Amino acid sequence: MGAPNRARSGPALSFRRLAERSTFFMPAAILLLLLVFYPIATTIILSFFSGSSFVGLGNYGAILQDPATLNPNGLSGGPPYGTLVNNLLWIVIHLPLSLFTGLVLAVLLQRVRGASIIKSFIFLGMVTPLIVIGVLLGFTIEAPVGFVPAFFGSIGLPSLDVNWIAHPTTLLFGLILGSVWSWTGFSTIIYSAGLTTIPKDYFEAARVDGASEWHIFTRITWPLLRPVTLVIVTMSLLWELKLFDIILGATNAGGGVGGAADVLALQMYRYAFVALPPEANKAAAVACMLLLFTTLVAGFLFRRLLTGDAPKPRAARRLATSTRAGE
Amino acid sequence: MSSSTQSGTEGAGTGGYRPPRPLIKLIIAIVAVLVVSNVVTGLAVYYASLPPVSGAKVVTVVGPWAGNEKDAFLPVMDQFARTTGISYTFTTTRQEDLQTSLPNQFAAGQSPADLIFMPSAFIKTYAGQGYVTSLTGTIGPSTYKPGALDQVTANSAIWGGAYTGKVKPGFWYRVSFFQAHGLTPPTTWSQFTTLLANLKVIAGVKNPIISGDGVGWPLSDVTEHFIATYGGASMHQALTAKTLKWTDTSVHDLFATYLVPTLQAGDWSEPITWDSPGVNLFWNGTYPLYFMGSWITGMVSDPSDLGVFSLPGGVANQGIVFAADYFFVPKFAAHPVEAKRLAAFFASAAAQTTQVRQGGHIATAAGVSITAYPSVDARVAGLLTGKTVLPDLDDTIGGTFQTTFWSQLQLLWSDPTKLDSVLSTIQAAT
Repeated sequence: MGAPNRARSGPALSFRRLAERSTFFMPAAILLLLLVFYPIATTIILSFFSGSSFVGLGNYGAILQDPATLNPNGLSGGPPYGTLVNNLLWIVIHLPLSLFTGLVLAVLLQRVRGASIIKSFIFLGMVTPLIVIGVLLGFTIEAPVGFVPAFFGSIGLPSLDVNWIAHPTTLLFGLILGSVWSWTGFSTIIYSAGLTTIPKDYFEAARVDGASEWHIFTRITWPLLRPVTLVIVTMSLLWELKLFDIILGATNAGGGVGGAADVLALQMYRYAFVALPPEANKAAAVACMLLLFTTLVAGFLFRRLLTGDAPKPRAARRLATSTRAGE
Repeated sequence: MSSSTQSGTEGAGTGGYRPPRPLIKLIIAIVAVLVVSNVVTGLAVYYASLPPVSGAKVVTVVGPWAGNEKDAFLPVMDQFARTTGISYTFTTTRQEDLQTSLPNQFAAGQSPADLIFMPSAFIKTYAGQGYVTSLTGTIGPSTYKPGALDQVTANSAIWGGAYTGKVKPGFWYRVSFFQAHGLTPPTTWSQFTTLLANLKVIAGVKNPIISGDGVGWPLSDVTEHFIATYGGASMHQALTAKTLKWTDTSVHDLFATYLVPTLQAGDWSEPITWDSPGVNLFWNGTYPLYFMGSWITGMVSDPSDLGVFSLPGGVANQGIVFAADYFFVPKFAAHPVEAKRLAAFFASAAAQTTQVRQGGHIATAAGVSITAYPSVDARVAGLLTGKTVLPDLDDTIGGTFQTTFWSQLQLLWSDPTKLDSVLSTIQAAT
């Protein structure tokens, strides 16, 4: 065994190495402690108080009982549903739409000349500030200036030739559908990168075996894109949970007509900055709820990544094996 | 052969080589870079935040006006600069944005300007937290019309000043349009509904009344007008003071009898952005009636063609909303002396005379001659006769009540059948 190995196992040098590592580790650790963990701890503590009085889960109870969070009339009478349901609707509608739109675009652009230019245009939605996207969306769906109501009017759908901003149903779904284009750039780019990692042999072998394009997609492409999909789903979930800018830009601090487009982050903003005097404790409680949700999502991602959620391209291997067998 | 062997020290052997470790030097270099960069940043921030050293007096003002409204305001600032020798900078910022940014700046011991225009509820709230300079002694009730400073007075101190204000007198119409179609302003509720019915059948008219939109205040203005007319000044005052519930039968009946039927009858347009789009559609006759504040006189090409009528009928003691623009001097103003001089100037008849001459404004200061007003504003002032002057309800309460009030009225306009839940939600927000 050489000297370096002995050095690594020696107590004196271990201490020295520890000191070295700590020297580099401590600045980041101190910054994290001060700028991340301390505010989180303070926020959690704050959420259990009302002024200087300890109220336990009182703030959480008040928020959950607030119709702005969960509107019991929304289930029977339509929107507004409340911030919690609205965030959920964003996830249920926006996530699959932006994910599959990105996947389709990435696959279609795989063998197109000049695809990088097209992808750059698609990605513009990602680099545009969300508050700007919100304002643009507001203009887009607002009659008489917006083209969305005008378009539906021109094709003979008067029920949609209305001011989408002014009606709870059209406002919420208009913003959800309208914002798909901005997030599609993300999934398109990530899927495009994922597609380049799949060995071309798989596709060639499948084609030699006479597999249809649909079979190639469902048996090779989609399974091998699972890790990429996991990243996109997780990032999209996090984005949809902390959604704020688009709603504020398109509507107002109240979340638009009747609070139909209201979301948790906007609710937190109102407690913290609009209320007179500010209701910091309730804002902290909403922040903790968001932290809990995002931690669950992030935890799921990290668990899958750390445990090595490798794709299982059985179909691809089978195709490749059968191709070799046929040779 | 490994690279370590190639560059190894003679006699150290293959496994004994240890590369040089310039750890101390590296740490010193990092610390030096950190110190230098922090010193440079600190000095830059320090000097950037210093007031001008030229000795020239300057006062910074933040207000909500842009476009035509700003053009009408700047002559007042110019007059101040001429008479005092104090130059100024004016920055336009929406009050909704200031409401979120100012508390943080105050907490950090800073202020974006020496004098800021904000709603009275904000001024009183932050005066209570020690972030507002008292203007007692700088301005006083004696130079104002009665009650003008009530909204910014607390604990026997005056925390802000009232600039000019705007009346929300009623429904504006084009005189030429009414003449062309043989229409006359109504004097009873029945005549009002008949007028709406007549307007509906005129070619080119989509709805009789345009509903202004934006963050939501135009709908709250018209709702307050219904309350002040058919519930009277006392109902408006009680709702403002939170001594009357929005779910009270009297309030519910008022909505159900007057406002909701007109919404259900299609007398109102969908909410449309209140400024240029809304005013243009009103002016070209698509929507012949527009409930708006007196500032509309400065937004149309021919103010002399404007007529206005308040909701007809109503109870004996009616009110009319007069929304003053309030200003205050923050505790952390960089130029508090100059800011107080400007505050005193804004409170003067001289400044407010200049402002009302531009049109669309009504003075709060005493001593502004009626001859200073454009004729259309003089007619507006006439509508105040015999009515109790009321402060803007949602501005006075402020906070999340205001945003809830706005968004719930938007919901009522979208679906008038939700009156009960709308009133309940508004009440819950008080």
